[in-house]
Order: sequence, then structure tokens, then C-alpha cells
Amino acid sequence: MTKHKTKLIVAACAGAMLLAGCEKKDETLKLFSWSEYVPQAVIDKFTEETGIKVSVENYSSNEEMLAKLLAGGGAYDLIQPSEYTVQAMIKEDLLQELDQAKIPNLKNLAPEFRNMPFDPNNKFSVPWLAGFVGVVYNAEVVPGPIVSYKDVFTDEHAGRIVILDDARETVSWGLATAGIPINNVTDENLATITPLLKDWLGKVKVFDSDSPKTAMSNGDTDIGIVWSGEGALLFAENPKFQWVMPVEGVHMFVDNLAIPKTSQNKDKAEAFINFILRPEISKMISDEFPYYNPNLEARALLSPEQLNNPASYPPGFDVTSAQLFTDLGEQASKVDELITTLKAQ
Amino acid sequence: MAVAAAAAALAAGPSPQRRAGLGPWFAVTPMLGWLALFVIVPTLMLLVISFCERDALGRIVYSFTFENYTRAFDWKWLKILGISVWYAFLTTAICLVLGYPVAYFIGRSSDRVRGLLIMLVMIPFWTSFLIRTYAWISILSQDGLLNALLMTLKITSAPIGFMYTPFAVILGLVYNFLPFMILPIYTSVEKLDGSLIEAAYDLGARPARVFSKVVLPLTQPGIAAGILLVFVPAIAMFAITNLMGGGANPTIGEVIQNQFTRARNQPFGAALGVLLLAIFIFSLWLSSKFRRSEQE
Repeated sequence: MTKHKTKLIVAACAGAMLLAGCEKKDETLKLFSWSEYVPQAVIDKFTEETGIKVSVENYSSNEEMLAKLLAGGGAYDLIQPSEYTVQAMIKEDLLQELDQAKIPNLKNLAPEFRNMPFDPNNKFSVPWLAGFVGVVYNAEVVPGPIVSYKDVFTDEHAGRIVILDDARETVSWGLATAGIPINNVTDENLATITPLLKDWLGKVKVFDSDSPKTAMSNGDTDIGIVWSGEGALLFAENPKFQWVMPVEGVHMFVDNLAIPKTSQNKDKAEAFINFILRPEISKMISDEFPYYNPNLEARALLSPEQLNNPASYPPGFDVTSAQLFTDLGEQASKVDELITTLKAQ
Repeated sequence: MAVAAAAAALAAGPSPQRRAGLGPWFAVTPMLGWLALFVIVPTLMLLVISFCERDALGRIVYSFTFENYTRAFDWKWLKILGISVWYAFLTTAICLVLGYPVAYFIGRSSDRVRGLLIMLVMIPFWTSFLIRTYAWISILSQDGLLNALLMTLKITSAPIGFMYTPFAVILGLVYNFLPFMILPIYTSVEKLDGSLIEAAYDLGARPARVFSKVVLPLTQPGIAAGILLVFVPAIAMFAITNLMGGGANPTIGEVIQNQFTRARNQPFGAALGVLLLAIFIFSLWLSSKFRRSEQE
């Protein structure tokens, strides 16, 4: 009998806890972010200052985020879409308009990030970090000079190359090399660059978007096309890892914070956005993830080493000259099919 | 999971036929509910989605189409499926050859040693397979532990590129799936009646004959279960193959994963998933047929 009683009590407690959990649910800010992109220290500091608890879920591609958001699984309050995804989500009416009066720290952003073509005047989104895609090479093994995408895929480098495991990126390098604007992903243009990509991908050793620096620093590859943050970490580890902005034109990505239509916690989400725009907080993000920080006030706090890292802040490069991706829509599937097929050759 | 249940049934062998009362039915209700909720419903969802279309953002549009299947039967996808099946076959064969003697040895050891050895087989499960795979990367990479050892011992003068090769993929798969081969075979070996082996020797059989005529047939349920438990998940595995193979030569698991994420084409991914499921069902049917003919 006592056993039964104990069980009943345990069950009652569990039920009570569940109910309590439900009531408290609204207190939590649900952040849906890229993996390896939001320092835990930033989240802890936010909770400490405001008392708002933050729960974090991660994704590893914009499409994964979209799929989960649209499936209605979790009621996310803040998401971190890249520029072309912001564009698509605005078009589909999936984002809430920001109340800029609640985000006074927007003034800290560099002017070129205040009015980007995918979201003029930051009506729906606020840049988190930006970055480039470029070439990194081990200068001890590769003599250079390396200036372009096609310099990567030479016969000498065959089997010693790492590139991003990202079909859209790969196609954009081929388009840029063929002199086609990188957002013109039509069937004819894909057919035009297929022989070039076939030759290139046959020489690649590793496809990795999550941590392409691993293959470089482990010595398994000598040259690669990677995110600038990865290039910056490699350069900081050892200056033999040189960074090159390809002459064909540089692609820049801008990852943003935005509030989905389904969020019930708009105020808290805006408080978080305003919080991370504070210079000292934004610096914490830069310390851990050395991408291009669009926050001018935060950049003033960075060390000379951080600012002189050629992958984070390419010397003499005008970011307004960089090209942004636009949304591909259904073509995304074709791009994926092309690259998957060429990888399996 | 259905595979695990089938494998467990195979390993358990034929059960005595007795009519069950109402009580046992109540006892299995949670299990049936679990199966319905997490196996049958998702499978039906997969089947439905595989006949649907999708919009530009990747949302599923519920209008009927065969297009996903006509696209799936293209040579380029079948080739990828073929490579995945080949990898899974190699993995299963190597696991069987390596695992059988180990399972036999453990099963025939004394009780105390046996418990210890089984625990040693299980210990790797205490750590996530992803972490163990990353450990392999630091062992096999060019500046890694293995190359450092080989070069210090002057066995090779230049580092060997172990990583990002089919060799690394198979190694990762075998390493991960070996316990799934050892454990069911061990269960069969443990139940093996030693007096039958003695009788075979008494009747003049040589070791090779004892093995092929007595030991092998009696441990066959364990072997069948082990093969299923290794082969089926090895076909669909994407994390290990991607990390160890470097993403070149994608497996069908990687392709399906991509459809649900980057390619924004869940219906096509579902169609490929249904095809894979058909292969699993076929291999289950094959192994049960194999068993039935054994019993006759």
C-alpha cells in the first residue's frame, strides 16, 4: 500500500510540475539560432540583467530553420535568418515588423548595414554578423600567388582541397568564374557551368560547411574556399594560413535577428536585439566568432589583432561592393541535384 | 525500431505456442501505442508526403503527383543508393567476420569473465557516436596520432592520407556497428548446449565439421539478427559517412537529409525514404524466408 501511495504522490508532483511549467512558459524567450554562433556568456548576461530566461535551439542551414518554423513545431521568438531568407520571409509575410523605438541601439550599426536591399531601413531584421566567402591556403605548402576561384582548382592542388558543403555557394563560384551574375541561377546557366564544376569537384578532398578549418589545421588539405570566420580562426592560429578575396567578385552573407509572426514575446525579443547591439555585448560575439561585425561602436572596442585579421576585416575592401544572395525559390532543389550528382561522379 | 523488434524476435527463436488471455493484451497496450505513434504514423506521413508537391519555400503542397518517384528512379540516385548498399554490405561482412569469434569467445567464457567482457563491449555506448567519430578524425588525420606514430617508428617517411577516403568511411561504420553484431550472436552462443558439441566430437566429427554442422546452425538466429541490426542502419547512416568520407561520394542517407534541409524538397526526400524502407522490408522478408527454410 505504501508503495502505491508513494507512486501517487510522485505522479501528483510530476503533474503539478508540468502545470507549473506550462504557466511559466511565456517567461522564456525562445531563440532559434545557427549552431556555434551565439556565445553562452551573452545569453547568461542577458538573463542576469533582465531576468528573462532564454532557451536556445540550433539549426545548421536557413532551409532547416524554415522547415521547422513552417511546420509549427516550436513557437520561436527570435530567429537568425541570412539575407536571402529574410527576403523570402518578408515576401511570404512571416516576420513581424520591429518597433524601432524599442531598439535605440540600432544607431550603433554601420550606415551600410542600416539599409540593406533585402530589408530597407531594418523594418524586419537587424544584422548580427556578416562575412565573406574566400580562399584560404597554407603558404608553407602552396607557393601562390592565389587570386581567384580557379586558382584553387588546379591539378597541383587536386586531392588537397576543402570547400564548403553548400550547393548554392559552389554554384556561385562557377557562375562568377564564367562571368555570370551569381544570382542568375537559370537552367541554361547551370548547364553552362556544369563542365567547369565537374572538373572542380573531382579535385575536392573534403566538403565541410560546419568546420572546414579542421581539415586545414589537421594538414589533410592545403587550400580551400571557406567562410571568412573560419579563415580568421585559421589565421589567428597560424599566419601561414593566408586569406584571399577572389578577384571574380566577393559574396557577402549577412545573418540577422528577426521575429517570426508566430512569436508571442515580441517585447522580449526586441529587448534581446537591443541588448546584443550594445558595443560591449557585440564585442563578446566578435571575440568568439571573428566574422565581420556590422556594429561600428563594437568594432571600436576590438583589439588591433582582431581588426588586423585579414579574413575578418579585409584591408581596403569596400563591403558595399560585395554581392548578396537573393532567394532562389524552387531552383534550390536543382542546384542541390547538380552538386550532389557531380559529387557522386 | 521495427527492425530492432524484428531482430529481437529472430534472436529469441521460435516460442512455444500458447493461447494468451486478456491480461497479456493489456500488458502490451503501451507497446502497441508506442509503435502506432512513433512507427506507424510517421511511416504513413512519409508515404503521404512522398506523393505531394512543395512550394518555393519548401512547404508541402497537398496535391497528388508521381513526379518524386519518377525522379527517384533516375540512374544518378540509384547509383548513390547502390554505393550505400555496397558500403553497408562491406560493413556487415567485416562486422560478422570480426564479431563472430569475439561473441563466441565471450559466450563460452566463465560467468565472471563474461560479464566483464560484455561490459567492455558496451562501454563505448556511454559516449555519443559523434564524439567517438571525431576522436577517429584526430587519430587518422594527416597530422594525427596514427601518422605521428608511424613516422616516429620510421615505418613511413611521409604521412598517409587515411582520412576522407572509403577506407575511413568503412572503418567508422565497422567501429560503430560492431557491438550490434557481437551482442545478438553472443546471446545465441550463450544458449548453446555444450553437450551437443561434446556429442559431435564423441561421434567422431572434426572441429571444422562440429562448427559447420552444430555451432553455426544453432547460432544462426543470432547471426541473422546481427546482420539485420548492422546492415539496415548502415545503409541509412549519414553522419559517420559524411564526417569520415569528407562529403565526397554522398550516401543515400546524406542525400535524403539534404532534401529535408538545404534542397527544400521534403516530398522528394520522402520518396527516397520510402524506397529505402522498401529495401528494409525486402531484407526482413528475405531473412525470415531464410529462417523458415532452415527450420524445414
